[in-house]
Amino acid sequence: MKVGVVGIGHGKFGRRSDATVQELACEPFRDALMDAGGISRNDIDFLSVGSSPEYHKQRSLPGVIAEYLGMNPQSTWLTEAACASGSAAIRTAYMAIKSGMHEIVAVIGVQKMTELTTPEILALMGRVGDVQWESIFGTTFPGYYAMYATRHMYEFGTTKEQMAMVAVKNHHYGALNPQAMFQKEVTIERCLSSEKVAYPLNVFDCCANADGAACIIMANEKKAKKLNDTPIWIDGVGSASAQMSVLRRPHFIGIPSTVEASKQAYKQAGIKPEDVQVAEVHDCFTIAELMAYEDLGFCKKGEGGKFIENKQSYIGGKTPVNVDGGLKAKGHPVGATGVSMTAEIVKQLRGQAGKRQVNAEIGLTHNVGGIGQYCFVHIYRR
Amino acid sequence: MPFHYFGKVSFVPYTKVAEFADYLKNGKLMGTRCKNCREISFPPRADCLSCLSDEFEWFECSGKGRLHTYTIIFAAPTGFDDIAPYSLGVLDLDDGGRLLGWINIPEEEITIGMRLQAVPKIFEEVPEIKLYYSLEKANTT
Amino acid sequence: MEVDILELDDKNALVTGGSVGIGASIAIKLAEDGANVAINYRKHDTEAKAVKKRIEELGRKAVVVKADVTSSADAEKMFSQVIDAFGRVDILVCNAGITRDGVIWKMNEADWDQVIAVNLKGYYIYNKIAARYFKDQRYGKIVNITSINGLRGKFGQTNYSAAKGGEIALTKALAKELGKFNVNVNAVAPGMVMTEMTKSIPPEFLKNAIDETVLGRLATPEDISNVVSFLCSEKARHITGGIIKVDGGQYI
Repeated sequence: MKVGVVGIGHGKFGRRSDATVQELACEPFRDALMDAGGISRNDIDFLSVGSSPEYHKQRSLPGVIAEYLGMNPQSTWLTEAACASGSAAIRTAYMAIKSGMHEIVAVIGVQKMTELTTPEILALMGRVGDVQWESIFGTTFPGYYAMYATRHMYEFGTTKEQMAMVAVKNHHYGALNPQAMFQKEVTIERCLSSEKVAYPLNVFDCCANADGAACIIMANEKKAKKLNDTPIWIDGVGSASAQMSVLRRPHFIGIPSTVEASKQAYKQAGIKPEDVQVAEVHDCFTIAELMAYEDLGFCKKGEGGKFIENKQSYIGGKTPVNVDGGLKAKGHPVGATGVSMTAEIVKQLRGQAGKRQVNAEIGLTHNVGGIGQYCFVHIYRR
Repeated sequence: MPFHYFGKVSFVPYTKVAEFADYLKNGKLMGTRCKNCREISFPPRADCLSCLSDEFEWFECSGKGRLHTYTIIFAAPTGFDDIAPYSLGVLDLDDGGRLLGWINIPEEEITIGMRLQAVPKIFEEVPEIKLYYSLEKANTT
Repeated sequence: MEVDILELDDKNALVTGGSVGIGASIAIKLAEDGANVAINYRKHDTEAKAVKKRIEELGRKAVVVKADVTSSADAEKMFSQVIDAFGRVDILVCNAGITRDGVIWKMNEADWDQVIAVNLKGYYIYNKIAARYFKDQRYGKIVNITSINGLRGKFGQTNYSAAKGGEIALTKALAKELGKFNVNVNAVAPGMVMTEMTKSIPPEFLKNAIDETVLGRLATPEDISNVVSFLCSEKARHITGGIIKVDGGQYI
């Protein structure tokens, strides 16, 4: 029995001090319902919520969201996997439908981060490593990825310019995406001269904290075909974990959970990396996107820098990546990102991406939690 | 010695390996070894990763090793703004395991692969007792 | 037959003003209890040599240095000498002190400055160098000899009381700075002690002092050095920032 995506909705990402968490969640939910052929809320039998709870004063988000959206008494709960919470919530929905326990499921990824100050967020996110042996010395999330960058530069000669090219590409496409937080293009020089965050990463190597929400409606094969002319099928799902403490990782040149999760997804979908025609990868930092090209198999280990230098991840290249702006231009409302990625891939496969359209039948989303503690890879097919 | 004396800002007041802090105050870097399968762990673990046995013993680690990777933090989290910028290094320990700590060497001299030594230290200019270790140039002797 | 290991066996001590009086008694007592001892002195060459001889008779090493305790350079030199001779320093006893008594309206600036310099600044200079060594080796005992006249005010001793009171405050602050490094810092506050110096005091002043005590006697130098040695031993490991009066109840 296949599982398909029949409706998508995406709110504006950015600094949303105009709305509460539940008000943010309502925007894409409304749009997704309409997109799914005007389906009624009563037809949805489970609300899967993806969000990272530590950022909000409001405890236990699924409760308040279900109430605000008018989804009581249907079942709801939180699926959390740090920055991969969105895709984790999608996997929960997938399992719910595949098991036969539910037929039509709404997945909402939502996050409000701007209730906290930047140093508070830095401290909070720095605790995504091992707080007993690492955070006590002032680790930060960019700091962890920076250590990967330093080692990647050491082993493969990757340059800061190549990392900046990721930002240039993603901001180029973000400027074409009205839902993205940042609407301006950037140059390599601008990136390299931006404020230092954690050597070798500067501000423009890092995604921004943001508020936002996205929603998808998923259904089993029978219902999906009724609700939408072009249901987009979830052909492969993969999920894996890696050590919380980077001190216990096998190496600092890639994310092992990406390799494992994508292997599972490729196997289930019966495809190889080169069959992927459009992808959304987790570019929380520019180095993360370069390593993702390698870990997902789009290029060989160590050649991520060359891949972008040769424009292979642009539209027209071997594997267009993050042509909606990625986390870099959209911003990264932690729980919403995974669902935003899926919404974009679904748009692409339906042929609804306008100026950013890629000619594609097979798409991939790659969503990482923390420094790779969690990874979810989903493969979509028209 | 309470474990929360370890680190500039502590998040962990209680742990089964709290003795680590006592050793650190006396200038010793200690790792754990599983009594059942002899597997060692640094940082210390109360439960063996290999066999899950909870019987462990302490062993003294030389602290010497090679720098695997590093970064320099400019945007610091709450509680660390007063020491920014500071460098964080990951040391591959000769005795096994890895360690993360501040690198006490000028920025321009840090290179991946250099030999360093983790040295137990006490924060000197604060009234509270705070323990840490810093990565220094290894003695050639 | 069981032989008790001496309390200060293998320890290395430095005592300022150790040629006569309380200082000499402290130096010899520390040696009796097992320590190697270095002393400095200002002018009593013969007495200083005698102390050295006594220490060596007890089977310990001794170093004697003529020094001006208001000079940091002299202090650094002395510490280096002691490290060369003994290998390390474990104990510092600051004892060197002078008086220049007089009512304040007749006290000239030199009398004020000298008493503050020798007594208070001198203790700062030696405590500071010791702190450096003790902090790095994570072990040390500092005993600053003050006076009950630092706890109470003494007629004719505005300068001396100020200096002695300052030594007490210095001791407390330093105890806080060095505690985490396993260093104890304490002060001993004697009342009137029978020494060569006090032998020259007119009898009626001595009688007044005895009357002030509740025990009806004046201290001998050994009454002071016994307590100093105790504070330098592991038996006193949990005493720090303490001001121990040894005054026969002269000031309660």
